[in-house]
Amino acid sequence: MTINNEAMWVEKYRPKTLDDIVDLTHVVESLQAFLKNPHSMPHLLLAGIPGTGKTTVALCIARELFGEKWKSFTLELNASDERGINTVRDRIKDFSRYGRTGFGEAPFSLIILDESDQMTGPAQTALRRIMETSSRTSRFILICNYSNKIIEPIQSRCAVFRFSKLDKVAMVEHLKKIADIENLHLLDEAAKRIVEYSEGDLRHAINALQTTAAYEKDVIDEQTVLQVFGEASPRQVQMMLNKALSGNFLEARKMMYDLIGQYGFSGTEIVRQMQRELVKVPHLTDSQKAELTNIIGEYDYRLTQGANSDIQLSALLAQFSKFRT
Amino acid sequence: MELDLLWVEKYRPKKIRDVVGNELAKTAFTSWIKDKRRRKKAVLLYGPAGVGKTALVNAASKEFNFSIIEMNASDTRTEKAINKVGKPATSFVALDRFSSESKGNILFLDEVDGVFGQQDRGGIKAIINIVKESLIPVVMAANDTDQKKLRPLKKVCKLIRFQQVRIPLIIHTLGKICAAEGIKPEFEALERIAQNSLGDMRSAINDLQSIAEGKQLLTLQDTIFLTTRNKDIGLYDTLKGMFSAESVPQAAIILNRSSVNFDDFLLSFSDNLPLRYPDKDDLATAYDFLSKADVFRGRVGTENWSLLRYFFHYLAEAATVSPKTFKPFDFINPPMRIMKLFWTKGKRTKLENICTKIGMRCHVSRNTAKTDIVPFIQIILKKQKSNPIVTWLKLEPKDVDYLVTMNKI
Repeated sequence: MTINNEAMWVEKYRPKTLDDIVDLTHVVESLQAFLKNPHSMPHLLLAGIPGTGKTTVALCIARELFGEKWKSFTLELNASDERGINTVRDRIKDFSRYGRTGFGEAPFSLIILDESDQMTGPAQTALRRIMETSSRTSRFILICNYSNKIIEPIQSRCAVFRFSKLDKVAMVEHLKKIADIENLHLLDEAAKRIVEYSEGDLRHAINALQTTAAYEKDVIDEQTVLQVFGEASPRQVQMMLNKALSGNFLEARKMMYDLIGQYGFSGTEIVRQMQRELVKVPHLTDSQKAELTNIIGEYDYRLTQGANSDIQLSALLAQFSKFRT
Repeated sequence: MELDLLWVEKYRPKKIRDVVGNELAKTAFTSWIKDKRRRKKAVLLYGPAGVGKTALVNAASKEFNFSIIEMNASDTRTEKAINKVGKPATSFVALDRFSSESKGNILFLDEVDGVFGQQDRGGIKAIINIVKESLIPVVMAANDTDQKKLRPLKKVCKLIRFQQVRIPLIIHTLGKICAAEGIKPEFEALERIAQNSLGDMRSAINDLQSIAEGKQLLTLQDTIFLTTRNKDIGLYDTLKGMFSAESVPQAAIILNRSSVNFDDFLLSFSDNLPLRYPDKDDLATAYDFLSKADVFRGRVGTENWSLLRYFFHYLAEAATVSPKTFKPFDFINPPMRIMKLFWTKGKRTKLENICTKIGMRCHVSRNTAKTDIVPFIQIILKKQKSNPIVTWLKLEPKDVDYLVTMNKI
């Protein structure tokens, strides 16, 4: 593994070649087959939960295709930041057409669209056409959490790869490897605890590990890990959840507006965080948690259907305030 | 009996106390008229149609003996026209003011909201000028004061709000008219007319005249031909009407007649729901219906208008979860979210900027940076303010300060 002097460990230890990738053998093998003859590479759709290496795989492909100068041949866009049709029409279209001019050896230019399931419908429709017309000059790698949010015509133009939760043992090993290089004394239980809390999300795990290092202790034990996760867990969301569960709807809703207003969270994000935090609420039984998760699920679904997240979130909080614990 | 007279004219209130309902508005207006050293020279009476705004002004003029110089929607009201009538009327104090009977003139501008279109250019400015310079009181009346163009006008006026006349009062008044006309009405018939009017006294009297004139007996049967009045109901009245409705169909009718923008309305509805249902179970049920209504709003979008009826239905259900518990309350207005977004814009932008920097460096979106990375960076920075990640992420000192002091997400 090559080490450079990047400061965030997620970047520092991001694999540079496909061979370095943790626990994704089946994906890596078929990708390497494509790379032997780059011209035969189709557009790719990488789907799966966060922190399982989708972006890393895409960046590795870029490196293997273009070598060190990969940045000149690659357009990396985050669709959730720039999700409108104008981005597709302007930046993507231009790059897909002219990206390659002047770079002799490269077979094509590469466009990586991260979080492409956040793209609006019209933008996806526009993209579909571009994928077709520009296939001689460029390839697309679409990355998403939910492939069902990608319109079908696009899916059918891509080779789809699914990324599932990373193996826990492999994650523990990876964390220990990082700890060794960083001269951290990471105890086994601590590593396991990090992995457990990260739920198969390696980015989360590595961030947590780096945070434990900031505590400047000789040994990183379970206690430190618990402390980090205690502090890093979204407190506002936790408080909102508790307020709602104790029946104080108005307070809970006020905090919801804070989350939207001060931090600019979207409805889906808040629901996702609520779901994450719910598991950790101590005084609920498992069956109560299951019941509440059902409720969250229903409103999460309605959020995708509805016109207004404020209303769906308020409604969700109202159901929680009614819930007898 | 003068058969050719409209009953609304015939039974127009002669005294202030004859004006039915809106007691608060009446007191406010009377004390303003009586007050010689009034702080605001102009008053704006606003509220739905047919609740007695004009009637009150006319009754007051009779009672206090002042003459009215009137301009209403039927006159063109460009700047010029307004100045032509308004300037002379307001620049001189009438001579007969010193005689014992008359208290002088007032300028009455009726329907100030509906007239300032292309034809009435500059009208609003002229009115404001007249109000500022006027030596005599200026009274204005309007239905819809939410319009942007009325805002400057509202600043220079004392505002008096009129509400719909309550149904029992309408029934009572209709009963009195029937007695005066020698008609024996069934109570249910009067009730039906009153409810159908939605608190509009004038339309109730008109309806009564149209079906009862010349009869000796008025039965419920007679009222079935009453046309439902297509009244334009604003946001406030729609909310109030729906929350006080006794059944789902009744709430749906009100929503159907309303002219509100559905998206604004949904937000206002949501904000006010906890005030309507103090009980947690009711609130949860109502919110569930509201949420379904919102889902249908999403499905309706801009084309599937046929789905709108389900939207209406669910919203009506949400408004009538427990009709018996209705108690009047003060509405929150405007929607909280808009306020909140407005006040916190600065903070949000700061965080967005930081997240953009992190996102660029770590190959993630702003949102992922916010939820997955910022919480960790916050802890690291609290422990080690000069950790190498600061320079690597290209964070400026003010960014670091903000992250350290910011409340935990």
